[in-house]
Amino acid sequence: MKAQMSEAFREGVRDGIRDAMQCGARIAGVLAVAMGMAGAAHAANGDAAAQRLIEAKCGACHLDNGKLTRISEMRKSPEGWDMTVVRMGIWHKVELTPGERQTIVKYLADRQGLAPSESAPYRPLTERRPNMQDTAPDEEMAQMCGRCHSYGRVALQRRDEGEWRKLMHTHLGQFPSAEYSAMGRDRNWWEIARDQLPARLAALYPKDTPAWREWRSAKHRPATGSWVVAGERPGWGAYTGTMKARAAGPDRYEVSYELRFGPGNTVRGQGDAIVYTGYEWRGSAKLGNEDTRSIFALSPDGSRMSGRWFLKGADEIGARFEAVRADDAVKNELVAVTPRMLRNGATTDVTLAGVALDAKVDLGPGIEVVEWLGKSPGELKVRVRVAVDAPEGVRKVVVGGRESAQTVAVFRRFDTVRVEPAFAVARLGGGTVAPMSAQFDAIAFLNGADGKPGTDDDIRLGSVPATWSTEPFDDRARHDEDARYAGHMAPHGQFVPSFGGPNPLRRGGINNVGNLSVIATVADGDQTLNGKGQLMVVAQRWNPTPLR
Amino acid sequence: MKRLRALNHKAQLLEHAVQEGHGEEVQLMSSVVGCTTTFDPGWEIDAFGGLASLCQPMEADLYGCTDPCWWPAQLADGLNSARDWTDGKNSALRDWRELQTLFPGD
Repeated sequence: MKAQMSEAFREGVRDGIRDAMQCGARIAGVLAVAMGMAGAAHAANGDAAAQRLIEAKCGACHLDNGKLTRISEMRKSPEGWDMTVVRMGIWHKVELTPGERQTIVKYLADRQGLAPSESAPYRPLTERRPNMQDTAPDEEMAQMCGRCHSYGRVALQRRDEGEWRKLMHTHLGQFPSAEYSAMGRDRNWWEIARDQLPARLAALYPKDTPAWREWRSAKHRPATGSWVVAGERPGWGAYTGTMKARAAGPDRYEVSYELRFGPGNTVRGQGDAIVYTGYEWRGSAKLGNEDTRSIFALSPDGSRMSGRWFLKGADEIGARFEAVRADDAVKNELVAVTPRMLRNGATTDVTLAGVALDAKVDLGPGIEVVEWLGKSPGELKVRVRVAVDAPEGVRKVVVGGRESAQTVAVFRRFDTVRVEPAFAVARLGGGTVAPMSAQFDAIAFLNGADGKPGTDDDIRLGSVPATWSTEPFDDRARHDEDARYAGHMAPHGQFVPSFGGPNPLRRGGINNVGNLSVIATVADGDQTLNGKGQLMVVAQRWNPTPLR
Repeated sequence: MKRLRALNHKAQLLEHAVQEGHGEEVQLMSSVVGCTTTFDPGWEIDAFGGLASLCQPMEADLYGCTDPCWWPAQLADGLNSARDWTDGKNSALRDWRELQTLFPGD
């Protein structure tokens, strides 16, 4: 009964909002009725303010016969809405303060967002993971949508066929060079864009879906509370720690972090966060001396959070983030084990991060816990010894009798080292554009059961210390002395590009672009291993949209 | 095409690629998120996965890219979205440092 009343109330508010958006003069009356219910007053006030703002800022163009056109016909991620709102400022000179911009994005992302299952396939794009390969359902979609921007930018929107068609017209009108990018010199591209793509896109990404209806009507758990967190920052290594989120308004939080990267390197910080659409966490924090941004997703049941945090001015530098809520009801919930690679015959100190971890730890056959090193909230530390004859390979970690998804791997020596990413892009900067570095990691592997490198059964041990160097990727790069001019490898695998602008020292006065091989050299006992990746140092980008 | 003859290095690269059957090859690096895959001549990389066939230095032809909206996701679009991007910055070779980024921060 309570749930029914709640749903009926939500429907009433929703209807009221729709009406209010149709006619600004009726807003006060509609909300006066809605506000009769206690507990929703704060949110309703915010809604009313957002509605007034949307009407004032968007209504001049979008209000047609009492109906708000276009805006109500699509769903998008928070970044998708933000790009729309910003575009309205660029194209139509809609002036918004930063606060107004966020208010509109929050309102629209909450009511016309994406369900978690809809945004899940493109989390890497949302999280701004660097050097990701773009993926499209087929070549035609890649050609029609993915030659200027990522295909994921499309896949993070939902529209009906007519609205997708309007987007085609928008592209034709605003970006007429799309004709060339869509291979219009070789075929009738507009026929494809106008007559074929809208139906395909509406079938792939329809406006109305069961997933969204269900998510829209469900109650979502706030992020308030303590979380045990873990992750890995390429160049720095793995970390474990805690995060505390305190409510600071509807869907808003004050957040504190403690991230322990290892002995002597604990990073503490404070920040804030806002949750869009019931699960899309967007945070801002000062961690140590670094300004950071976070893009996490709460799991549908609110028990976990995962994503990526990165530097405010350099989103290519960041870390994975996994968190488990420290609930009383949770026992032996393991988030991470570090280090994950254990050498035969060696004694190693291991940290297990998780919630309510039991003292009974089983790291698998051949691994013996020889000493307890301590327990703190969210963490166990043990010293383990690996038998000399323990078989190489992966073991699942069991804590308190509960098998986890976390693993450790036993090894005698590394078989191969690979550079990750295998292909990377760095960008020159200068002027108003910050350079974009490239962060590499050296990853040790075992060959696996077949004894051959580069096959599916290879065992990924993890990141290992390396010394780094570059060399020309090919003859052309050697001829142009790319390795000399394009930039340098800093310690810990970060390539820092050279300065932007024409370089008078280079033949033809070309920029400091370059095509390089990136070499990781790893010492492992009496052997030395090399891994090689490729790096293109390319021109800058002046359009730093959140979805590229 | 039989009446066209390659005169410079870039044109020779194209000619050789076609002769060697590489015309339809798709480059692995062509689909890194954030990079354009329209390769005429390419903004980040060229059709051969390298840099040799790009306009270089790019400042020499930057406004030739932005005026006709050639790379609207990476650069300014001088047709519609950023018509005044180059106002007062008449030489890209000289003034490129003053060109402003196009998406406001949070």
